This record gives sequence, C-alpha cells and structure tokens, in this order.
Amino acid sequence: MYKAIVIGGSAGSFQVVTKILSALPKDLNVPVLLSLHRLKHVRSGFLEALMLKSNIPIIEPDDKEQIKPGRAYLAPANYHMYIELGNRIALSTEEPVNHSRPSIDLSFVTAAQAYRDKLIGIILSGANSDGSYGLQKVKEYNGLTIVQDPRECQVRTMSEAAMKLTQVDHVYTTDQIINFLLKLK
Amino acid sequence: MIAISSIELQQFITAVKSHSGYDFSEYSDKSLKRRVAKILTDYKMDLPGLIAQIKNDKQQVEKVVKDVTVNTTELFRDPNIWQLLKHSVLPKLAHQSTINIWHAGCSTGQEVYSMLMVLNELNLLEKARIYASDLNTDVLDAAQKGIYKYRFNASYLDNFDKVLKENPLNYDDFRDVPYSKYFEIDKTKDIIKMNSFLAEKPIFKKHDLVRDGNIFYVKFDIIICRNVIIYFNYALQNKIFDLFYNNLYNNGILWLGMHESIMGPFAGKFEKNNQFYHKKEVVFSI
Repeated sequence: MYKAIVIGGSAGSFQVVTKILSALPKDLNVPVLLSLHRLKHVRSGFLEALMLKSNIPIIEPDDKEQIKPGRAYLAPANYHMYIELGNRIALSTEEPVNHSRPSIDLSFVTAAQAYRDKLIGIILSGANSDGSYGLQKVKEYNGLTIVQDPRECQVRTMSEAAMKLTQVDHVYTTDQIINFLLKLK
Repeated sequence: MIAISSIELQQFITAVKSHSGYDFSEYSDKSLKRRVAKILTDYKMDLPGLIAQIKNDKQQVEKVVKDVTVNTTELFRDPNIWQLLKHSVLPKLAHQSTINIWHAGCSTGQEVYSMLMVLNELNLLEKARIYASDLNTDVLDAAQKGIYKYRFNASYLDNFDKVLKENPLNYDDFRDVPYSKYFEIDKTKDIIKMNSFLAEKPIFKKHDLVRDGNIFYVKFDIIICRNVIIYFNYALQNKIFDLFYNNLYNNGILWLGMHESIMGPFAGKFEKNNQFYHKKEVVFSI
C-alpha cells in the first residue's frame, strides 16, 4: 500500500542505512530514496561501500531518471535530489540549504508532494536539524513518519529536532525499523 | 521556508510569459518552485505582490527572470573529466583547421575560461572559436569581465593544479604551469582576474535555450551544457537535445554534467563516453 520509502541521515547514519539495506528483501516492491550527508569531497567509495551488503541495487541516479520499485536511489554528492512529476528523479545544483547539499528537507518535501499518504519518511542519526521540516511535510500529507530512537543514535540532534517539530508515528531502534519495513510486505 | 503550491507556480509562469516572453512552463517544477520561494524571501514579498510587479514593471520582470535563472559554476568543476578532455578528447581534434565550441548556459564563465586554458596548453587556442551564451545578461557581463572572488574559491587552484599540471596517464609528465600565465590573484582586493588574452577570445551572446535556435550560424565540434538542463523537464530536455544534435558536426560532442544523461528518443543517436556524447555519423541511404 505504500509507494515509497525516503530516508534521511547524517553523522552516524551510515551503519544504520547499511543494516536496513541488507535486511530489505530482493523483491521489495517500493523504491527507497536516500538523502544522506557526506563529506564534500567524498564522491566515490560511498556508494560502493553501501552496495557491499545491500540486497537491492543502489543507484546514484542521473537527472530525470525514472524511479523503479526494488531499487535504492542515493542522492549524488553535491546535488539536491527531488522527486518530480511522472515519478522521475530531478537533480539540482542550487545553493546548499542549511549548509547541506543534498538537503534532506528538499528530498522529503518533494517526496511528500509526490507520494502523499503513500510515503514512509525515516530520519536517522545526525548532527544537525536537516530533515525535520521535511518530515513535518510528510506528516502533513498523511504519510507515515519514523525517527531513529535518539538513545540509539550516534548523534541524536537530527532525531530530536524532527521529534520536536512533528508528532512522529514511531520512534524505533534500527532493528524495529527493519522489522516494521519487513512486515509491510 | 516558503512553500509555493502548483497553482501559484502556474500563476507565476503565466504572468512572466505574458509580460516578457520568457517561458518557464517546461522548467523542472520542483527547482522552479524553490527558486520562486527564494526570491520571495529575498524580496520580502508574497506571490500576489510579485505577480503585480511583473504585470506593471517591465524592468522588474527582467530582474525576476535573472534571479530565477542564476546558476553556479566553478573553474574546472569535476577535474577528472577535464583531465579526460585534455588528454583524450581534444587531442583528437588537433588536426582540424578550426574547432568550434559552444558553451550553452555559460553562467559567469568559469567553464569558458577553463576551456580556454586547456586549449592554450594544447596549443589549440589559435584555431578554436569559442561561443558562449546565457539567458541572463548580468552573468554574461560577469563572464566577459572574468573577475572572480578569491576567497571561498580555493578549489579553483586545486583543480587548476590537477588539470593543467598533472597528467593522469603519465606521472612523469608534470608541467609547472604558473597561475600568472592565465590569471592574476589579488588577495587585498580578494579577486582572481583572468588575463585579457583569454577574456577577449570568446563571443558572448544572450540566448534563451527554450526559445532561440542556433544564433551563431555555425556548426560545432563541441557543445558544453553542464548542469543546465537539470532545470528543465523531460520534454524540454528532449527539445534541447534536438537543437544540439542538429547543430553538431558528425562525431561532434555534447558534453553534459556529471549526473545528466540522454534518455529519450535521442539516446540512440549519440555514443556515450563518460559525460561526452558523440553524435553518431549520419549515413544517408537511398
């Protein structure tokens, strides 16, 4: 019944994302959109490291690429990643938002507009408040909102900022997030 | 953050179109929404106020269009690709008597200067004809001046070293190219100023990719259009590919940004080699 999962994370989220991607089934019937902060000059290596354990293919998409279920789309370094009409990815090199490019907020807001109540938004560990506005929009469009339990986060700022702004549906540990996503099938 | 609804965006597009002729209707709606939201914040205005201005003030429309379309660029952005251009792509054109190059959507011109420097290092500057265009006359003026901020642009010098000094195919081939060969760094004024023999070379012209065809009346060996079409929707991208295709020589190259690609009907008409799309030879048969 859900049409997409969008995940935002920053410092301390890499292991969590890896764990989630390694637990998702090969025949996952929704796309996963990943908006993750990384060091400015890390262009290569990040994708490969994520792919090592993932069950589903991970793509750093090109602009206007068609979004397909069963794949993860990782926002390329130094680009914002939007969800466009016609279920396509749109990239942009506009100025960073809150010092971040990709901006988690922008990915979440446009995903919320595209998938509305058929979207699951997940905010993970991170050292700033990017994503909290975006998660609020997911909620406004009646999507499902999840944050990683701050007690489990390596850096809890991002989860806490999201929880402050939005009455989130679930506060879950990594394992609980995985169990929840697996039950959706 | 101000959020613009689709209906509001439509009102904006209609107002601009009927009061200026600029057509944003096939721009990528998500970026455009953000751009409009940003100028509302910058202007401290709401959308009805902005639309009223657009309707009543011709100069204001031009300013709005400029602010919506401004784009970021760097010297030797993505240096690995510039290395490839220098060591594999351009040498193949060295035997030609002229090399026509069009920077479509050149913004403030950093890529134009990057190209001029690479051409000069390969002794190809003489035979090159450089055309550069943008919709926004303010950025064109800046491009023509060739003066950039020094601060915050440290990557310019790193990229310069990588592209102009190193040879990734042969590490013994290191050239100590001084910055002063191409530009002057003035730290007190906080500027990098391109030398005049570079700045005088290109032909800069205002051009709207959406409305205007080829305004230079020549065909091209290379068309550079990086991180421009990402602001267009899929349908408009294909129209632009059509324009580029028709104005490239056989085997001519369309050079796109790192995460741009040709996906639609034109995919089969180009041969992809990294970010360089080579126009396939057109063979006529009876």
